[in-house]
Amino acid sequence: MNMHQYRPSGPLARYLTIFMHYLAQYAKIKMAYRWDFFVHIFTEFLQQSVSLIFILIIFSKVPAIQGWTRDQVLFIYGFFLVPFGIYSGFFNHLFDVPEKYVLQGEFDRILLRPINAWYQVVVETMKPELLVSMIVGIIIMIYSGSNMNLVPVWWDIPLAVILVIGAALVYAGVYTFLASLGFWSEGNLGLMPMVYNLSQYGRYPMTIYRGPVRFMLTWILPFAFVGFYPATILMHRYEYLGYALLTPVVGIVCFVIAYRVWAAGIRRYRGTGS
Amino acid sequence: MKLIEARGLTKEFRIFSRSEGVMGAFRDLFHRKYRVLRAVDEIDFAVDRGEMVGYIGANGAGKSTTIKMLTGILVPTAGTVTVNGYVPHKQRESYTKGIGVVFGQRSQLWWDIAVIESFKLLRRIYDVPRADFNRRLQQFDDILGLSSFLNLPVRKLSLGQRMRCDLAAALLHNPAILFLDEPTIGLDVLAKSKIREFLKEINNEFKTTVILTTHDLGDIEALCPRVAIIDQGKMLYDGLVDNLFSQWGQDKLEDIVKRIYMGQKPEPGLAGGGVSLV
Amino acid sequence: MFNRLLLYLELVRMEFVNNLAYRSFYFTGILNYSIQIGAYFFLWDAVYVGNRVIGGLDREAMITYVIIAWVVRSFYFSNLDRRVGTDIRDGKIALELIRPYSYQMVKYARSFGEAAFRMFFFAFPAGAAIYLIRPFTLPVGWDSVAMFVAAVLGAFVINAQISMIAGFAVFFTKSPTGVYKAKRVIMDLLSGLLLPISFYPGWAREIIQLLPFQAVSYLPNMIYLGKIRGAAAFEVLLLQVFWIAVLGFLAHLFWRFAVKHVVIQGG
Repeated sequence: MNMHQYRPSGPLARYLTIFMHYLAQYAKIKMAYRWDFFVHIFTEFLQQSVSLIFILIIFSKVPAIQGWTRDQVLFIYGFFLVPFGIYSGFFNHLFDVPEKYVLQGEFDRILLRPINAWYQVVVETMKPELLVSMIVGIIIMIYSGSNMNLVPVWWDIPLAVILVIGAALVYAGVYTFLASLGFWSEGNLGLMPMVYNLSQYGRYPMTIYRGPVRFMLTWILPFAFVGFYPATILMHRYEYLGYALLTPVVGIVCFVIAYRVWAAGIRRYRGTGS
Repeated sequence: MKLIEARGLTKEFRIFSRSEGVMGAFRDLFHRKYRVLRAVDEIDFAVDRGEMVGYIGANGAGKSTTIKMLTGILVPTAGTVTVNGYVPHKQRESYTKGIGVVFGQRSQLWWDIAVIESFKLLRRIYDVPRADFNRRLQQFDDILGLSSFLNLPVRKLSLGQRMRCDLAAALLHNPAILFLDEPTIGLDVLAKSKIREFLKEINNEFKTTVILTTHDLGDIEALCPRVAIIDQGKMLYDGLVDNLFSQWGQDKLEDIVKRIYMGQKPEPGLAGGGVSLV
Repeated sequence: MFNRLLLYLELVRMEFVNNLAYRSFYFTGILNYSIQIGAYFFLWDAVYVGNRVIGGLDREAMITYVIIAWVVRSFYFSNLDRRVGTDIRDGKIALELIRPYSYQMVKYARSFGEAAFRMFFFAFPAGAAIYLIRPFTLPVGWDSVAMFVAAVLGAFVINAQISMIAGFAVFFTKSPTGVYKAKRVIMDLLSGLLLPISFYPGWAREIIQLLPFQAVSYLPNMIYLGKIRGAAAFEVLLLQVFWIAVLGFLAHLFWRFAVKHVVIQGG
């Protein structure tokens, strides 16, 4: 036996190695299609700019929206873009599952490989260059934060990391759930754009929405936790402290439920139950 | 202990039948009609280590469904199956480490990246020690002549080259069993014979068990002493190819199989593997 | 000539029926647009406090503007750019050259079939459903209705032409998805879908007025609202005809280029 064998120290290390390899391969492909890569990043910037222009034009006409100033709304939008970047980079393409994987049978190949199926789909469809939204978001947060004389404190950074992870888990959960529906329906249900549009509600103050809408965004499709609630605490506004601190919990619950549905979907795909 | 052992293996599907026209589409919206299709119907099937078995049947006979059950993709509706000491659909992640699968119609490799990169990625996925990986790659290269296109992306390969790469990819982790679903489909004569040669060699050297579905009976004649024939989900024949010849008193496998597909039986006088007097 | 027309009509019908088969569209499409409109409704509702008038529109006019803009979009929107781009990327355009019809007309016909489907199954039910939830302003007179319908048809053609050109652009960029996305984002902003053009600063308005995009959403919406009437509305229609001619010519140039490219390089 060879003494210098490749032996990962555990499943986590193995999955991490596989991720790094996928990432390296992805980078190689992208360098082969360099033009496409930069166009993608450019259009992502373009899209964020349009949203930004939209907000700026509105505030060129009015001083505040229900007491929320331009800089506060910008700050919420900036925070919103950070988990949104993670979602765009890793979970958005779960929408390929119904068509590409289930209908066209690519999922067979996934099931023939000795690693977790969800993980395989995520690393096969990721577009990590879309993480650039995070950078745009951080710049907007810094810009608007300094405009409103926000003084950073030591716990801002660790708290922000926890909140962003929680918010990203909300996205992961919702999109995993939607992708799982592909195991039951034939092809795409068309729900993805709908939920995407709904997720965009999270980038404005919840106070502009009526009661039932706010309730749904908080407790059913919890997109209030991908932008507004966690952003308020980082702005050092504490009216929504309870909700803001709930962000990681909501993220975990959301993802756990969704993953169970996913597992049930795979059982269905393989022909047990219905 | 058999390597593959299936008893009463059955798979049923519910098929949604679409109605025609505008009104039909409307009706389907609210009320969907289903019928049950028995794709595989109580099949018994056993294979020893190192065997090469051909698995044939007309289109839609249930071949692919059987393969999907044996590889753990599908869970059987009824019956039992054990392969390589596992129940395929129950212990998927550990079971798949010990098998290799090639679908002729669809590549398992990543479309846009160089073949060698796909192999390296598979090495991580299947956890293959580097030394083993290099040694096996060398061996495959010797027989299949891969080195000239290892650095090309899959999309630039010819079908024959792609199939050779897919075969190598399926064998990198030294699986006990290799499942091949129409591995020679669309290949020219030379590419076919290269693949057959390779399979023979792999079977000889590593005692890899090979289960092969195909529409090309040349594959069977070249590789498989044993053949299983399935039609409408039922096993029509499972035995040596040589016995088929003596049973039917024909010298062309194609004619025999055609007759079996058409539902004919061998003439009684010739049955039982007797000597053909014609 | 007449036979060609029958073929294109048949394509319109075919696409209409094809769309019927996608059953999930009936439900999710309407819901999707309602959600989109809802987002803007809540925002504008919060923006307009008191009896404010912004960019020449009061609260009711603004909310009606948003609803009409999106409902009309649900009619004219199509995946034409993707279809053309895919044909180019997969080299199918070479196959189209051997067929006895106009490639562009076939694409337009299919898009129109889809648009007709969308009108009956998206735009009308969505408009009706929204009206039940939140009544919006109806057109002030029959002249506005007639002009609006004509302008919306013009909007469909212009949007389809822009999409066609975006599809042909795949020849140059080799980044299909980037082109589609850029087109969509630019259209959202410059057509007046997101914001009435009258909201923009003066210099931006001057630029936008030189471009075809505002004829897709802003101008038809203003006709609906009665802000543009009579001779002015007629001028809008003339402007649309002008843009249809210009864009048609551009699309033709792109098509010629594509054909040459295919003939020389084999796709």
